[in-house]
Amino acid sequence: MSSNASSLKRVNKQRSSVRGGISQQVNVTVLLATAALIAYGSLIIWTASLSIAEASFPRHLLGIGLGLVLAVLLARTDLRGLAGMSTVLLAIDILVIFSPYIPGLSYNAKGMTGWMKLPGIGLTFQPVELAKIITAFFMAGLGAQYNGRIDSVREYAKLCGMLAIPFCSVVLAGDLGSGLVVFMGGVVIICMSGPRKEWVLATIAMLIGLVSLLLAADSVLDGLLGHDVLIKQYQMNRLLVFIDPENANSDDAYNLMQSLIAVGSGGFFGKGIGHATQSGSGFLPEAHTDFVFALLSETFGFLGAFLLIALYAVLILATIRVAYKADSPFQRLVCAGIVGMWTFQIFENIGMCIGLMPITGIPLPFISFGSSSMMMQCATVGIVQSVWRHRAKSS
Amino acid sequence: MDAKLIVIIAGAILMLAILISLFVLRSYSGRFTFDTVTGTRPKASEGEGNTSGSQLKGRFQILSFAAGASLVALIAKLWSMQMVSSDHYETLSEENRTRTVTTAAPRGRILDRDGVELVTNRATLNVSSYRSLADDTVTVRHLANVLGLPYIAVMRSIQDYSQSAQSLHAIASDVRRSTVAYIQEHAAEFPGVNVVEGSERSYPYGTLACHLLGYTGTITQEQLDKQKKDSSKSAGDITYESGDIVGQAGVEGRYESLLQGIRGEQTVRVDSAGTVVGQAGSVDPRPGSDIKLTISLKIQQACEEGLKIGMERAQGTARAGDAAAIVCLDCTNGEILGMASAPTFDPSAFVGGISSDDWDKLNSEEHRTPLVNRAIGGQYMSASTIKPLSSLAGMEFGVYSASQTTNCTGFWTGFGKSSGKWCWNHSGHGTINLRNGIVYSCDSVFYDVAKGFWNAKSDNDGLQQVFRRHGLGEATGVDLPSEEPGRVPDKDWKESYFKDWTDDQRSWNAGDLLNIVIGQGDILVTPIQMACVYAGIANGGTQYVPHVFLSAVARDGEGDAATYQKKERLTAKIHAKADLELIRDGLHGMPYEESASVAAHFNNLPVSVAAKTGTGEKSGEDEYGWFVAYAPFDKPQYVVACIIERGGFGAECAMPAVRNVLGAIYDSPDTSYSGTSDQTM
Repeated sequence: MSSNASSLKRVNKQRSSVRGGISQQVNVTVLLATAALIAYGSLIIWTASLSIAEASFPRHLLGIGLGLVLAVLLARTDLRGLAGMSTVLLAIDILVIFSPYIPGLSYNAKGMTGWMKLPGIGLTFQPVELAKIITAFFMAGLGAQYNGRIDSVREYAKLCGMLAIPFCSVVLAGDLGSGLVVFMGGVVIICMSGPRKEWVLATIAMLIGLVSLLLAADSVLDGLLGHDVLIKQYQMNRLLVFIDPENANSDDAYNLMQSLIAVGSGGFFGKGIGHATQSGSGFLPEAHTDFVFALLSETFGFLGAFLLIALYAVLILATIRVAYKADSPFQRLVCAGIVGMWTFQIFENIGMCIGLMPITGIPLPFISFGSSSMMMQCATVGIVQSVWRHRAKSS
Repeated sequence: MDAKLIVIIAGAILMLAILISLFVLRSYSGRFTFDTVTGTRPKASEGEGNTSGSQLKGRFQILSFAAGASLVALIAKLWSMQMVSSDHYETLSEENRTRTVTTAAPRGRILDRDGVELVTNRATLNVSSYRSLADDTVTVRHLANVLGLPYIAVMRSIQDYSQSAQSLHAIASDVRRSTVAYIQEHAAEFPGVNVVEGSERSYPYGTLACHLLGYTGTITQEQLDKQKKDSSKSAGDITYESGDIVGQAGVEGRYESLLQGIRGEQTVRVDSAGTVVGQAGSVDPRPGSDIKLTISLKIQQACEEGLKIGMERAQGTARAGDAAAIVCLDCTNGEILGMASAPTFDPSAFVGGISSDDWDKLNSEEHRTPLVNRAIGGQYMSASTIKPLSSLAGMEFGVYSASQTTNCTGFWTGFGKSSGKWCWNHSGHGTINLRNGIVYSCDSVFYDVAKGFWNAKSDNDGLQQVFRRHGLGEATGVDLPSEEPGRVPDKDWKESYFKDWTDDQRSWNAGDLLNIVIGQGDILVTPIQMACVYAGIANGGTQYVPHVFLSAVARDGEGDAATYQKKERLTAKIHAKADLELIRDGLHGMPYEESASVAAHFNNLPVSVAAKTGTGEKSGEDEYGWFVAYAPFDKPQYVVACIIERGGFGAECAMPAVRNVLGAIYDSPDTSYSGTSDQTM
C-alpha cells in the first residue's frame, strides 16, 4: 500500500510537470468510450424498467458503482506481478468456476445454475464472470514466457492444452456460452504469443473436425444411453433453431423470431422510448438481459445500434492501442485476451439477436442488466487502464 | 442431484489431472514453465526468440482487423434488417400486437311487394366473454346460475376453440332483459363478462311462406370448400368464414349474395399473453341489401288459408288430405304473387341451430317432408288439367277436329272390348265434342285423341311434342332452389327407365298413350309448371319465367341495388287461333257449365274465370285433386294452380283453395258456402 501511495505521489508530480496531463495516467479514449457505454446501458435499462418489473434500475446503478470502485482499485495496481503466478491463478480459476457447486455457496433461483451467494453478505454473484478475467491473466502469463515467438510445435500444443483446462471446466460447470468467451479470449492470447500460422490453421481445422464429430456422436450416444450426454438437448435445439429458424418449433425459435421482429421493426430511427411494443408488451423474452440489444434496436433503431457498435469499436481499438503501447508481453497479452473476449461476447450477443449466431446466454458488455457482468466489465476496463498507467515502467 | 455429483467428481478428477500435469511439466526442461521466479522476463529489445517490432505491429493489425470485421458484419446485417426489410418486420410486429376480430353484419330483410317485412332481424342481448374468463371458475359458476345454464355448458362456450382467442365468445344469446339488468347492476361480481347486442332472424308472420323464404343456418363445410375452389370470385365478393350464418334454402339461399352483409373488423391490441389491452380501430359492418319479393302478403295469406280450407274439405270427405301446394302468378310477367306448400315448418327453429331430432322430423316421409316446397318440387300426375294441351295436339295433328264428336258411354272400347277404359263418369257423357270434353272432362273424347295418335301415319308422339312445347318435362327456371323438372313419358323414356323389365313389358303401348292423354300414368308435372302452362294458354302461347325476386333495396337508401327484368320462358307455337279459342272456351265453360254447385262459387266473383279440374288416380291412395284457373277470362292476369295430395276430387278440395285466392284478389270472399265452418275461414 505504501508503495502505491508513493507511486501516486510520483504520478501527481509527473502530471503537473513535463509529460503533460491526465492522458498519461488514464487512457482517455478507453475511459470516455466506457463511460458512454455505461451511460447508454443505463438509459436502456431505465427504459426496460418501465415495462419489466425485474429490471430494477437502482440495482443496475449499484452494479455500476461497485464496478467503478473495482475499476479504480485495479487501475491503480500494477498487475505485472501476476505474470509469474500461473499455478495460483489456475487453482483460483478452477475454484471459482466450480464454486457454485460447493455446498453452502451455491445459489439456485428460478431454475438458474451457475450462481453463488457470498455467505454473510448475502450478495449473489455469477463466478464465471470473474473466471473470465482470471483465465486471461493465467493464459497471458504462460504466453508471455515465449516473448513473442513460439518455436516448437510442442510448446504451442502445451499452451493450447492449458487453455483447454479453464474452457472445459466452465463448460462442465454448465455454461457453454461463457466457456466460449473464455475460449476466444485464450485463442487470441495464444495467437498473439507468436505461433506459426500453419499451426493455428491446423488447429482450427482439427477443432472443426472435433466439433462435427461431437455433434454426430451426441445423438448416437444419447440414443444408446437414453439420456443427455455431451451436449444438452436445449443446446442442440438452439443450434437447430439457428440453422433453420422457420421450421424449428421450440421456445428458442419463438424467442429468436421475436428478437428479429424487434430489431427489424425498429427501422432507422427506432420506435422511441416507451413505444417499443415487442419488448414493452412482453413478446421479447429477456429483454433486459440476454436480448437487451433487441430492445435497444427497437427503441433507437439502426441509428442507436450503430452508435452502440461504434462505441464498442472505439473501446476495442483503443484497447488494442493500449496493448501495442504496453511494455511487457504479459500486459500486451492480457489486453489482447480482453479484446478477444469483448469482441466475441459482443459478436455473439448481438449476432444471436439478429440471427447471425446461435442463441447462448451471455450478456452484452456494459449494457445488459446484471451486476456480476457489470462489475467484471468495469474491472476489465480497470485492468486496461492499469496496463496503460504502468506501460513503461517495471515495478 | 446426480448431475451435481457428477460435476463435483469430474471437477475433482480434473484438479488431480492438473496437479499431476504440473508435476510432470515442472521436470520438463523446455522453455515452458509455470512459475517464473521473477515474473515475466524483461523485454528484450532485439535478438533471438524475441518478436521484432514489425511482426508485433502486424499481429495487432490483424487483431484490429478481425475485431473490426466482426463489428462491420453486425452492422451489415443490421442494415439489411432495419433499413432494407424493416417494413416486413414492421408488419410482423404489428401482427404480433394486434388481433383483428370480425363483427357480423346484419342480414338484409325480405319484404313483400308492398314493403311489408316478411323476414327481419331482431335485436338480441347476448352474454359473452373473452376466453380468459375460463380461469375464473367462481365467476363462471355464478354466471351459470344467473343464466340458468349448466356450468359445463357455460365453460364449453367460453373455451370454444373454433373461435379466435381474441374474439368475444358467446355464452348465452337472447338473454332476458331482467337477467341482463341483474348482470349489469352487479358488474363488479362479473369481471370480464360482457353484454353485447346481436341480431337474429325473426319471422313476424311465423310459418307464412316458409318454403319460399327458406331459412338460415351456419355455413357448412361443403359450402366453404366450394368457395375455396371457386376461382371466379371477384375482389368485392363476400368471403365466408366458418361459423357464418348463410341462407340455406328458398329466397334466403337463392339470394344469399344480396342478403349477406359485409362483416366489419375490429382491431384490438394484445400483449404477449394474448390479453386484450386496448382498441386499435374498427371498420363498421355493412348490412346486406333488403330484398323485395313479388309476393303480395294478402295473396300469400289467401294461398295458405286456401290450402288449409282445401285440406280440411278433403279430410271432411274422409280423405287423407295431408299435403298440398298452391301457386298464384301474374301471367303477364311471371311474378309469383303467392306460393304455399303444406305441411309447413317454422323457420325460426333454424335460428341458432336446429336439433337433429327436429331436422329428421322435417325430412321424414312419415311427417310428409315439411321441408319440401311442393309448389316447385312436388311432382304429380297432371290429371285432367292436361286436357287443353291434349286438345291442342289433337287438332294440330289432325287426329281430332273441332267438329268431331265421340259417343261416351262411360266405357270406351276404341281398342276393343278387352282393353276398354272407363270414363270417370261411368254413366257416360253421351255424344260430346272436344270443347265439351274439356268442360265436362270427358275421358272418352281424349281416348279417341290418343287412338288417333296411336294410329297416325306420322307424328305418333305429337301429344308429347305439344306437352313439351308448353314447357312440361322441363324446369320453369323459377328463382328458387330445388325445383323439379317433371316428366313427359315417351317410347325412349320407357325403354330406358324400366331397364330390368323385359322388352315386351317396357315397349311403348297404346295404354301408355291413353294414360298420358288424360294426365294419368307416368306423366309428372309440378304445380308451378301447370300454372305456367295456363299462363301460356291465357297469353296465347307466351310464358314468362316465374320469379319471386322483384328488387333489392340497399339499406343505406341508395335506391335499388338490383331490379328483376322480366324474361320470356317460351312461346309455344299455336297451330291455329281457332284451336286456342276452342280450348279457352272450354276452360271458360268448365266453372260455369259443368255443375251448378261449382258455378255457385264463381258466379259470385266480379270477374269471369277460366278453369280446369283434375283428379289424379294412384292405386292404393286417395285421389290427387287439382284445380287450375286464370282470371279475368277476357283479359287474363292471374293464374292459380293448386293440388291437394290424397284430397279427393279436384272440384271438391282444390277448387275452394283456388277460389279463396281469387276471392282475396278481387275482394270477394266466397259466400256460397253456408252454415259450414268453411265460410269463416
